[in-house]
Amino acid sequence: MDHSYAIKQYIVREFIPDVTPEELDDEYDLVANGVVNSLSLLKIVNWLADTYDIPLDDVDVSLKDVVGVAAIRRFVERTARQPVPALAEN
Amino acid sequence: MGRSHSLPDRLLERARVQPEAVALVLDGERVSYAGLHAMATGAAARLRALDLPPGASVAVRAVKSPETIAVIAACLLTRRPVLLASAELGEHALEALLARAGCAALLDGPATTRLTAGPPVGEDVSFMLTTSGSTGVPKIVPLDAGAVDRFTDWAGGRFGIGPGTAVLNYAPLTFDLCLLDVWATLKAGGTVVLVDQERASDGRHLAALVESEGVEVVQGVPLLYRLIADASDSPLPGVRHVIVTGDKLSPRLLGRLPELFPGARLYNVYGCTETNDSFLYEITGTEESVPIGRPLPGVEALVVDETGAVLDGPATGELLVRTPFQTRGYVGGDAFPDGRFRSGDVVSRDEHGVFTLVGRNDFQVKVRGTRVNLQEVEHLLLAHEAAADAAVVGVPDELAGVRIHAVVRRTAPGALNSLALRDYCRTRLPRAAIPSTIQVVDDPLPSTPTGKPDRRSIIENLRNGS
Repeated sequence: MDHSYAIKQYIVREFIPDVTPEELDDEYDLVANGVVNSLSLLKIVNWLADTYDIPLDDVDVSLKDVVGVAAIRRFVERTARQPVPALAEN
Repeated sequence: MGRSHSLPDRLLERARVQPEAVALVLDGERVSYAGLHAMATGAAARLRALDLPPGASVAVRAVKSPETIAVIAACLLTRRPVLLASAELGEHALEALLARAGCAALLDGPATTRLTAGPPVGEDVSFMLTTSGSTGVPKIVPLDAGAVDRFTDWAGGRFGIGPGTAVLNYAPLTFDLCLLDVWATLKAGGTVVLVDQERASDGRHLAALVESEGVEVVQGVPLLYRLIADASDSPLPGVRHVIVTGDKLSPRLLGRLPELFPGARLYNVYGCTETNDSFLYEITGTEESVPIGRPLPGVEALVVDETGAVLDGPATGELLVRTPFQTRGYVGGDAFPDGRFRSGDVVSRDEHGVFTLVGRNDFQVKVRGTRVNLQEVEHLLLAHEAAADAAVVGVPDELAGVRIHAVVRRTAPGALNSLALRDYCRTRLPRAAIPSTIQVVDDPLPSTPTGKPDRRSIIENLRNGS
């Protein structure tokens, strides 16, 4: 499965349930639009860490990393302990 | 001749007498008083090159950085009124704010933009702060240099800030709290330990920063202490003064403070942007709820009933307050009647003259320390062409204090979704006022018998997950 889509599914389910993953653009600014704030950052990061095996203790994370679906995907590509095959193909 | 009480005079003096001392720390980067002075001198030259009309104000887009502080210092040193504009303001809101303030220029990092200057705001004005009002244009609160000088002197003395004292700055640079943790500290020759906005919710980072930088004075909203308490079990014995302000302290958090800061005196401080700090209460840690305490020296506090009549002795009513630190009135508005500010807060005063905050008398809530008027957010949503009806409620939230929830009925299925509404809010509201959840519905909203939105049942529905 495309990882952008999985990230969208998560964001939509947790934060914007009236929207479908298809409606959420890769570059939609989640921070400026108030979907995500500094408090929900931790929640997202914990989900990413569980889902993609990211060693949180060794990784610096900031709001910039969750500013949009594309940014989250790049964060995962950069930090996941195992190479994420589906991402590498993209 | 006595020593000058003027903030800009004292900043110059610090650069002269303790040039090597650290003025600012951000993410490990240290700026000495000499360095800050050099940056401010550079910024002052850029400002002069703009050749602005005398007395015209300028605005600074207040991203948290040593550079921003140097630019503000340059304004203070050149006696130029300076509007601190939030870096989070939407573009329409920023434009409207600059127009209302009549600023002659916007300083945004190294970029400067000339603007059409409005009428001067008054020679004595130094800082111009904004009330954290929720809709488009916040009110502008001009502070005279004298008010700032009196406040910074009081704060430095009250919390023992002197040369070398490390003080944590948690709030964004636009908040009135910075008059204490940034400006009183610099005036006294201390070290301001700036919390990077990006890492402001990382409790582990905050605790480590306090520890490693030897912070002695901490000021912040309850959220700051909650984040530290949740992330760290080890006490921070180096802290001498802990100032809680801006919101109510929950009983659970209250109980944690003495063990977390075993070497500190703990205070609950009440104030608002218009008046700055006005009440102080020293916390023992055994209270069931924390009062706001007594008025600070020089502060007059009145309790009035609905008709405006002044109540004596033990009483509950709206707080009217006048402080040595306050504004004379909003930009473009009248001076406060008799110099007294109507706080909008309901307080009770006991037989000993100790005040307790009861609540707001309107739709004001605090989200992550920022004041938001729910009704104003509701009106904004209602103004959207595809919104048939809207209700906005505040829901208690362990971390944020309150989070905002909006229910919007659209004119037709498919006419609107929450992403479009967020786009709409983004350019018109400060970030804290954008609802954290927006529910778009096609059925009528629950309403009261008088046809108003039934906020209570909306909150109930939310709790029950429907």
